Amino acid sequence: MTRFQQLIAKNGARHRRHRRIVNGVMLSLTGLLTLMALVPLFWIIGYVIYRGAPVLNLNFFTQLARPIGMRGGGVLFAIEGTAVLAILACLFAIPPGVLAAFYAARNPNTPLGIALRFSTDVLAGVPSIVMGLFIYGLVVVPMKHFSGFAGGLALSILMLPTIIRTTEEMLKLVPHTLREGSLGLGAPEWKTNLSVVFPAALDGIITGFLLAIARATGETAPLLFTALGNERFDIGAIIQSGIQAHQSIFAVIGRIINQPIDSLPLTLWTYAMQPYQERIDQSWGVALVLMIFVLLIEIVARMWIEARKRALQG
Amino acid sequence: MFKFTRAFVFVAVAFSFLLAACGTASTPAAAGAPATQAPGSVTLTGTGSTFQFPAEQAYAEFFPAVDPSVVINYTGTGSGAGKKAIIDGTVDFAGSDAVLNPDEITAGKDLQIYPFLAGATVMAYNLPSLDPKNDPKLILDGKTLADIYMGKITMWNDPAILALNPKIASKLPAQPIFTVHRADGSGTTEIFTNALTAFSSDWTAGHGTVIDWPTDKAGTGKGGNGNPGVTAEIAKNQYSLGYVEYAYAVQNNLPFAQMVNKAGNVVTASPDSTKAAMTDFANAFTPQLTAVIVDAPGAQSWPIAGYTYIIIHQTSMTDCVKAQKLVEYIHWILTNPAAIKYATDLGFIPLPDAVQQKVLGTLSQVTCNGQPVHW
Repeated sequence: MTRFQQLIAKNGARHRRHRRIVNGVMLSLTGLLTLMALVPLFWIIGYVIYRGAPVLNLNFFTQLARPIGMRGGGVLFAIEGTAVLAILACLFAIPPGVLAAFYAARNPNTPLGIALRFSTDVLAGVPSIVMGLFIYGLVVVPMKHFSGFAGGLALSILMLPTIIRTTEEMLKLVPHTLREGSLGLGAPEWKTNLSVVFPAALDGIITGFLLAIARATGETAPLLFTALGNERFDIGAIIQSGIQAHQSIFAVIGRIINQPIDSLPLTLWTYAMQPYQERIDQSWGVALVLMIFVLLIEIVARMWIEARKRALQG
Repeated sequence: MFKFTRAFVFVAVAFSFLLAACGTASTPAAAGAPATQAPGSVTLTGTGSTFQFPAEQAYAEFFPAVDPSVVINYTGTGSGAGKKAIIDGTVDFAGSDAVLNPDEITAGKDLQIYPFLAGATVMAYNLPSLDPKNDPKLILDGKTLADIYMGKITMWNDPAILALNPKIASKLPAQPIFTVHRADGSGTTEIFTNALTAFSSDWTAGHGTVIDWPTDKAGTGKGGNGNPGVTAEIAKNQYSLGYVEYAYAVQNNLPFAQMVNKAGNVVTASPDSTKAAMTDFANAFTPQLTAVIVDAPGAQSWPIAGYTYIIIHQTSMTDCVKAQKLVEYIHWILTNPAAIKYATDLGFIPLPDAVQQKVLGTLSQVTCNGQPVHW
């Protein structure tokens, strides 16, 4: 045995014990703190289910609000409104967001690319109520009325930074060799981007969209000055009356997005502020529906991504 | 290649949405108003006062049965927000419990305010030594109330309070009075401070939707957000006193004080005593149709009450179909027995006949593009 090996043998046992103890302490500490971090999450979910579940029934999803004192009624208007707002916000945010991300990923060090990255960071830090006020001045006041269109715009500005940054990061993750291979085979730049780079990054990009949608559908503040709220919003009735009046599909879509519109968080906010127990109970139901809504988006998207992965591999 | 087509379709759809939105926005709806409209084709949007929200909600449910072409959409955003929206012209009507101040009248040009319901404000209290079921209610008078909020009367066993409550004098503790008020800009605060101003010349803190409270400075007062916030503060602080809307106090079973009115009688807040106050002041309307109805002189009149208003543009509406429906709607809530019953059931007090006639007189003067609008 060399001198060195002797030393190891002598100190080794003590060292090992020391390391085991430190390992044990740190492991239980991190485990405990993880649990503590999870407690609020499950507490919130559990309490929302506890308070919200009793008011959920079929009517809650299929009826409009009823006046105070008349039992029943639902939040169909808010569910439809949230869906319309989410679709509008995606339509306004995704095309410019994705194109901007392509630009930033391909030209990171040009003045415009640097300006873009800087301004998306700033935009991400702007309080969401400011987006609402911005659109109020820009769209609502000149148009002379609150509308789902304005609400969708306000939400889309909120979604833009998330979409641009995640899309850019995902595009950067695509291996250079893949691009070069495509270009080397003679594909033009646009075709390389569209049919090689974009599909390769698609899963991550979609996840970014979902994060953005989940954030936007949970927002109240930007909608206060833009969408305003509308307890009588009923897409079914609008379409029906549109058909009766022989309106074109564009006129009907115009009527849907051109009037004040409600959303789940907005309804949650107004109901929770009201002095009537009935409304406060319903606001818990709305909170639960909102949670399920966001969860559904997540699940559907995950399933879609899984299915796509399998299709690509198989 | 098909990916490119798909992306193109996507962008095209996005643009068609935009075009549709702009297209309908710029269509002049007033041109050649047809005799009848498709069901649900006219949306009347209103926003403002949370106080009148439950009534508006009931109207929104039942008015379409009278006129299926109309959808009423009212959101409760607060009187201040409502007034701002009607001045900006972003809604068809606003709800407010506070009257328009001179600046707002200038900015809004042709705004007209229409009282349509009234409500009482009551003093809710938290006195653990009183049994809400068996003990008589606390009694206050205007001067004492003003002194309490002024910080001059600070103890529950102050001689002034004891003199008003001989039956429960032994149960009024030697505890400081904690006063609660609204923290947000509120029509209820305006009504309450109007009342204090009328009650006592010692009340020097002024009146309005937001004021500086003397008891806050003394550390014996606190604000709460909305009626729920005030109620929560009262519940949290023993020996506290605060003002809330009558309908709210009834809905939530809060104990509230009786008042000695100007005629010297002890009165309880109720639809009848509030209506008596409204009748006392039937001739007190300004040309703008606003009226302060606090400290009413009638024998049975409740002393702290106020109107809630709908505000519309009297002469500058350009969409005559909308103007027509809006006037019909206001006429309906003012005169239809069923509409009045919905509001009464919710704790609101409808206009006395004399007041109603005055309001209808002004409503008949609404014009659209220079043409009179009739209901």
